[in-house]
This record gives sequence, C-alpha cells and structure tokens, in this order.
Amino acid sequence: MHIPDGFLDLKICLITYALTIIFWFFAFRKAKETLTDKQIPLMAVLTAMFFAAQMMNYPIIGGTTAHLLGGPILAITLGPYGGLISMSVILLIQALFFGDGGLTTLGANVWNMGIIGVFIPYIVWILLPKNRNRMVLGAFLGAFIGDVLAAISAGLELGFSTKFLYGISISVPVMAVHHSIMGVGEGIVTSIIILILLKSRPDLLNLPKITPKWLTK
Amino acid sequence: MKSKKMIIAGMIVSIIFVIVGCVWLSASAETLDKVAEELEAFESPIWNPPLPDYELPGFEGNLIVNIGIGILFTLIIFTVAFGVGKVLQKSVRK
Repeated sequence: MHIPDGFLDLKICLITYALTIIFWFFAFRKAKETLTDKQIPLMAVLTAMFFAAQMMNYPIIGGTTAHLLGGPILAITLGPYGGLISMSVILLIQALFFGDGGLTTLGANVWNMGIIGVFIPYIVWILLPKNRNRMVLGAFLGAFIGDVLAAISAGLELGFSTKFLYGISISVPVMAVHHSIMGVGEGIVTSIIILILLKSRPDLLNLPKITPKWLTK
Repeated sequence: MKSKKMIIAGMIVSIIFVIVGCVWLSASAETLDKVAEELEAFESPIWNPPLPDYELPGFEGNLIVNIGIGILFTLIIFTVAFGVGKVLQKSVRK
C-alpha cells in the first residue's frame, strides 16, 4: 500500500501532508504528556516488530502480495497517537533507506497507514464492551475495517491524482478488493496477538493510552 | 525484568518475520505495484535510497545479505523508536 513518488500530484501530496502534520502535532504533544517508562520499550519493540512484519509479503489474488500493517495492535496497546508515532518511524525509514513509499507521498502513506489504519481499529476496539470474546472480535473487526478503509483512502488519492491515468471508479475498487483479503489476514493476526496478550501480559492492554480526548473512554 | 523478557520475545518474533519475509518476499509484486503496472503508471523517485527494495546493490537476490539487512534495520528501528520515546518523555520533564 506504500504509494511511491510520481503517483500523486502536488495537490494531493500537499493536502495529505497538511492533514498528517496536524495529527503529528497533536500526537507528539499528547505523547509528551502520557509516555511512561513501561510504554517506551513496548513502543520500540512493536515498531521494530511491525517493520519486520511488513517485510513479510504473503500471496493474495492475481499474482499479487500484501503485507500486514500492524496499525491495529499498535493502536490497541499504545493508543492511536502512539500507533501513529510508531508507524511514522517505520514509514520514514522505509522511504529513506529502501524506497518503499516515496518522500513526496510520505504524508499520504502516513495518512493511510498511520492514521486511518490506526484510528479506525482503535475506534472499533473501544466501541465494543470489554469481555474476552468481544475483545477478540473487536480486534478482528477493527483490523479488517481499518485495512480496507486505508486501502480505499489510497485508492481515492490515486483516483483523484492527475498523475494516475485512471479515476476512482477503477482505483478504489481494485485497492479495496485486494486489501480486503489482507484485512482478513490482519484481523486474524491481530486477534491471535490479543489472545496471547490476554493470557500472558494482560497488563500491556491496560497501559494508559496515547489518545486524543475525544477518544478517551 | 518483565520489559526485558518482552523485548527479547519481541525481537525473536521480529527476526522470524524477517527470515520468513526474505524467503517469501520475491514471490510476486504488491497489489499497488501490479495495478500501477497494468494502468501504466510510473514511479518518479526524487531520492535514491541506499538499499532499494531492501537489497544491497551488487548483492541482489542474496538471501543472507537480505536477511542481514532486515535484522539490522529491525534493530535500528527499535533504537530509533526507543530514542523518540525517551526524547519525548525527557522534553516534558524539563
């Protein structure tokens, strides 16, 4: 889902950068207030883990592959602003060192994977009342919906970009259909990780979250 | 102590991801790349990354080098994320 340089026109790049910068501003400000000694190692480990997970491309349809985003777990354990910071570190290093996603499109990639792909799973997660089964269901649904919406967002950016030859009627369905399969994979992995955490380290699910006030329970 | 265990477990899982990922990585293109190819859209990079497509120039397709790069950058990202966390935490204590 990493959009490279050249796929988005200047207008789309600027709009997505502007939106992302607003979220970065609030995320860093909130992180300063809430980060604890327990959260920092967790944030570092999860950031490294989902960088590694993004290297694991699994086959989906039509000879294409997809990879996990990691946004749902980052959001559930760290809060959406924490997840945004983690995902931004991953995406910046991927763009700078590996050319995985462009620099002009970094704002769009962070918007899709680091904001939509993080906030949507968190919203779904907190909407469900908390018992064990609902936590697992919430993790699955949140991850699935988050991945599909992130893909739709990428499809809209591509479709509205004058650099991309085809409009949203093609770009959005293609991205959504392919990534809905990835969303199922992300949902399953997220649910499994939540189950493991519930059994072995439930305290990690109860850490204070780096989250905006409007998403505080 | 609990954090130490969590870090070790997390890094072991990450290394497993890297190894599995490097073995599978070249299987086929990512959806967006494939779609772009079909729709005749082209990348125009503004920056030459030192390790394009997670490979060391001159050692393309070398599984051991690719795994090495993956593990090295997993450790770098751990350090960067840890550093970002510490800097943010420090900045509020001043």
